[in-house]
Amino acid sequence: MHQKTPEIYSVELSGTKDIVKTDKGDGKEKYRGLKNNCLELKKKNHKEEFQKELHLDDHKLSNRELEEKYGTDIIMGLSSTRAAELLARDGPNSLTPPKQTPEIVKFLKQMVGGFSILLWVGAFLCWIAYGIQYSSDKSASLNNVYLGCVLGLVVILTGIFAYYQEAKSTNIMSSFNKMIPQQALVIRDSEKKTIPSEQLVVGDIVEVKGGDQIPADIRVLSSQGCRVDNSSLTGESEPQPRSSEFTHENPLETKNICFYSTTCLEASTSPVGTVTGMVINTGDRTIIGHIASLASGVGNEKTPIAIEIEHFVHIVAGVAVSIGILFFIIAVSLKYQVLDSIIFLIGIIVANVPEGLLATVTVTLSLTAKRMAKKNCLVKNLEAVETLGSTSIICSDKTGTLTQNRMTVAHLWFDNQIFVADTSEDHSNQVFDQSSRTWASLSKIITLCNRAEFKPGQENVPIMKKAVIGDASETALLKFSEVILGDVMEIRKRNRKVAEIPFNSTNKFQLSIHETDDPHGKRFLMVMKGAPERILEKCSTIMINGEEHPLDKSTAKTFHTAYMELGGLGERVLGFCHLYLPADEFPETYSFDIDAMNFPTSNLCFVGLLSMIDPPRSTVPDAVTKCRSAGIKVIMVTGDHPITAKAIAKSVGIISANSETVEDIAHRLNIAVEQVNKRDAKAAVVTGMELKDMSSEQLDEILANYQEIVFARTSPQQKLIIVEGCQRQDAVVAVTGDGVNDSPALKKADIGIAMGIAGSDAAKNAADMVLLDDNFASIVTGVEEGRLIFDNLKKTIAYTLTKNIAELCPFLIYIIVGLPLPIGTITILFIDLGTDIIPSIALAYEKAESDIMNRKPRHKNKDRLVNQPLAVYSYLHIGLMQALGAFLVYFTVYAQEGFLPRTLINLRVEWEKDYVNDLEDSYGQEWTRYQREYLEWTGYTAFFVGILVQQIADLIIRKTRRNSIFQQGLFRNKVIWVGITSQIIIGLILSYGLGSVTALSFTMLRAQYWFVAVPHAILIWAYDEVRKLFIRLYPGSWWDKNMYY
Amino acid sequence: AFHVLILLYSPLKGTCKYWGFCLILLFYLVFYGFLAALFSFTMWVMLQTLNDEVPKYRDQIPSPGLMVFPKPVTALEYTFSRSDPTSYAGYIEDLKKFLKPYTLEEQKNLTVCPDGALFEQMGPVYVACQFPISLLQACSGMNDPDFGYSQGNPCILVKMNRIIGLKPEGVPRIDCVSKNEDIPNVAVYLHNGMIDLKYFLYYGKKLHVGYLQPLVAVQVSFAPNNTGKEVTVECKIDGSANLKSQDDRDKFLGRVMFKITARA
Repeated sequence: MHQKTPEIYSVELSGTKDIVKTDKGDGKEKYRGLKNNCLELKKKNHKEEFQKELHLDDHKLSNRELEEKYGTDIIMGLSSTRAAELLARDGPNSLTPPKQTPEIVKFLKQMVGGFSILLWVGAFLCWIAYGIQYSSDKSASLNNVYLGCVLGLVVILTGIFAYYQEAKSTNIMSSFNKMIPQQALVIRDSEKKTIPSEQLVVGDIVEVKGGDQIPADIRVLSSQGCRVDNSSLTGESEPQPRSSEFTHENPLETKNICFYSTTCLEASTSPVGTVTGMVINTGDRTIIGHIASLASGVGNEKTPIAIEIEHFVHIVAGVAVSIGILFFIIAVSLKYQVLDSIIFLIGIIVANVPEGLLATVTVTLSLTAKRMAKKNCLVKNLEAVETLGSTSIICSDKTGTLTQNRMTVAHLWFDNQIFVADTSEDHSNQVFDQSSRTWASLSKIITLCNRAEFKPGQENVPIMKKAVIGDASETALLKFSEVILGDVMEIRKRNRKVAEIPFNSTNKFQLSIHETDDPHGKRFLMVMKGAPERILEKCSTIMINGEEHPLDKSTAKTFHTAYMELGGLGERVLGFCHLYLPADEFPETYSFDIDAMNFPTSNLCFVGLLSMIDPPRSTVPDAVTKCRSAGIKVIMVTGDHPITAKAIAKSVGIISANSETVEDIAHRLNIAVEQVNKRDAKAAVVTGMELKDMSSEQLDEILANYQEIVFARTSPQQKLIIVEGCQRQDAVVAVTGDGVNDSPALKKADIGIAMGIAGSDAAKNAADMVLLDDNFASIVTGVEEGRLIFDNLKKTIAYTLTKNIAELCPFLIYIIVGLPLPIGTITILFIDLGTDIIPSIALAYEKAESDIMNRKPRHKNKDRLVNQPLAVYSYLHIGLMQALGAFLVYFTVYAQEGFLPRTLINLRVEWEKDYVNDLEDSYGQEWTRYQREYLEWTGYTAFFVGILVQQIADLIIRKTRRNSIFQQGLFRNKVIWVGITSQIIIGLILSYGLGSVTALSFTMLRAQYWFVAVPHAILIWAYDEVRKLFIRLYPGSWWDKNMYY
Repeated sequence: AFHVLILLYSPLKGTCKYWGFCLILLFYLVFYGFLAALFSFTMWVMLQTLNDEVPKYRDQIPSPGLMVFPKPVTALEYTFSRSDPTSYAGYIEDLKKFLKPYTLEEQKNLTVCPDGALFEQMGPVYVACQFPISLLQACSGMNDPDFGYSQGNPCILVKMNRIIGLKPEGVPRIDCVSKNEDIPNVAVYLHNGMIDLKYFLYYGKKLHVGYLQPLVAVQVSFAPNNTGKEVTVECKIDGSANLKSQDDRDKFLGRVMFKITARA
């Protein structure tokens, strides 16, 4: 895979290479990147494979030659046995998913990643310590062996847990992929069969109906009005006609090849467009397969959160190792035995490593992933949850993501007036004046001069959601009239169609003649729609307020003004006209002949204009505004026309209302574009053509200097260039995409977002996240969740790190001052993996402190997850206070049992001697070794309870970083209280339930000891409130800088 | 802490060269000073809740352990050679040291208490009972300064741990037996290892000045043919219901086991 990496970067270079070539129109340009890839590849390892692809000559062969080549029969199809053989040889017809790391490797990675190494070291030290003990004393206690096993077990269990969490989130994705199994209609053994398209083999004869996906690369044998949508492959949005003729040398451009995973469009004519073809390539050998495999070559970069966690692990491991080694040296120089020093080292490591934290982080991330899935963001890679939060640039598609992906009537022009139509998702609020008689005529034309129909059986579906047979504009008109006039089909029935000329590109109009339901006279009505200028040519009158007026220069001028205005909005404009055929010339029985054109097509009456646009989704402008206030730059990248792109950009706020492009300024000041000071323009619309001629420095300049950028007429390949440009700005880039050709860009982006509805499988595979509703606004909610989780992870980590000091201090004091050991290693594990787990997860449910969408995205190199103030505040402030509180409980227990603090100092050696069974306490009583040991366990339990009680306070203070707890609300996050309750219950169970299990070294603690540390807990709370108060009072001050984490 | 910090803020700013560093130093000085003071205060408050004379709880030592003298160096194993005085010189010294408070000289201010009954005192002055060292007979060190080691009949002293307020029931005694069947010759002084109840109750180091624990001596007689053999002796408290001598985990609760090897 590594060798392929440079190949994909060739796309990046292609921009400059293409300067040399002269571009001959759009048609060629869209394949540019693809061809370049192939050319580049030819030079590399995959020479042969790609040569074959480039020399694909099936499109040149005749049907006879094809039959020979693939050993098949066009009428009979393959035999099932032959098909089975081929299937066995070539494998299933599906894209191999990108190479997955073997499960066992993933599993082992969990075992050695993060803190696991440290814990393994601890475990091995335990076993080594036992080995040393055993060699000098055969009856050495097995305690160290057990501890080593427990540590190993901890690593394995947390590893299994993390692995399981990761596997679970991967599974969500794969189940999503398999939701709709593709079927194909194939001729085998001279019978038509429906089989899963995975079982197709080369040489199969398949039939594809309109609306289906092309199941493999096929050579068209016969076709009826078939058009394919190649947009996912080439980015061109216009449907491409397909027929059996060989039209172009280039296999990518010839009409007689359809590509795997493109869609055969539904034709409006009946019978529905079908295509019969022979399978010439399957699975990974298809063109799409090749592109998809290129995408997997783009290296997966580490997610920002992975970098943060690594950074954090380094900090903690650094602290652990350096303190460990420091105290090992101190211990040795204090004349402790090496064996004892090793045991101290183990204790220090265990105390320092937050064993449960990485598992907690995983749970926290997957909780957020779940929450995001509910909001239609399906996260494939858990870590991508946070990446979205640190996103600083979103490169968004237009069609479908920002817009509704359907043509909709936006404006009407009649009676010399422009009316605005409602373009919201349900069209419910049509407010324009419908009383004019011109509107009555116009609506009739709209209704009748339209071949689109609703698919049957959708009576209960809201109009806007009904499926329609017909092209985009006709669909728009059909729905528009259905909403306003009611049952269109009924109106059409009453005005039976007698003749029709469908739209074609030479006429540029569509015409139909109808009987009318007009009770006053049975005359025919001819209705026509088409390109406005062509329609106007055919008219001699114009209808104003229901009256026909002669069409003079001034009315023509108003028409042109309106036409230009609507066109300037990036809308597709249609003109409408009609003519009532005089009944005397055209009696009821008149037979219209379309070829002979035995009816007039001039001197018609112009009725009005109507313009359509793919309107923005109604939630998008809000979402864009949110992005803007959140400091996220939204860049639109579309294959559409610059004018349309700009219009949509303006309407959703990607180009804000008061900002201008260089061209706008030039237009306003009436000067040449070159004279405009580029600094005055805030927005820029860059076309693919311009982009192609740009060096990367120029692109960088554009990306850096303009706040609002629209890339129009770009090819999917150029998306990758744009993404890389953004990444050079040190931005975290999110990219949306749906086509196969988007997959390299999706991979390259810090977070690739694929469209769930419109997206191709290759795009979904390359992406880190899938938008289930294709809606841009969902990205913004995702950003919010991502930012929240970053903040909350900070809190979780701060919470978890705090007690590490309280766990570490006992060992240090034990070594230096010689107290009986205040807390045991096992007890520490019970805190880290027992009482503290649920509370630290509970912090993930914390609500945002302030509007997180009002601040800039975090800088990935500056705003660290674990920064110095966090570590210092957790370790040296709260951690230390906690240690003192826990020591207080410990001293209290010992003092009340007879060992006053001053007696304890340097008591360690005598205390731990097994044969000293009459150790005298401060009151003259004498203790056996076991009695002392039991007291020591009581001490552990006391220290444990001390930490536990103060961790409750710690949990509460960690709810906020800046606001007072009382501003945040103590009870708003119920899960915190679940956490606190669980903490107390686990503590009670350990002390009172398992108090009799020797190996756990817990004892039943007197109830009052639970309250000894409470004043310290309150102090922690009060101290933190003061910290926050000063941060709020003096923002930017020394205090803020050092105390705000 | 914060007010102090703010008070010191302006005068310091002018004098310190590395202002940020100084401020941090100052902050931690004040902050840790405050924490230290606070911790000391809470510890002081905690200590106020304690009684000087009796610990608040005695639940963790309900029953006394047994301990032997001479004090073992590594484990409860005594090895010596009767012909080599240096091999047992340490033991003898240890015994002498241990018995020092039991000399007549030291005990002359102590009270002679009535035998055979618990000696409960109401205070405020608590007296200690005499423990005549002669009771230990051959192991008293009065007649034999070598405590039998030079003859190959070593003496080991067994004592019961002090526990404040302990009231033994019944007639407690310390019973010692040899675990080796061929060397049954274990003598216990006082007779039967009796422990007189008059030495109880113990009222603690502070009140009960000069208190002497009752002792029991064990003398193992090695016959010449047993020279060099290891003998295991187990001593147990017996005859008292509330003094436990059987505990799975605590091998020294009311019992003690030691090994002696006497070479020629």
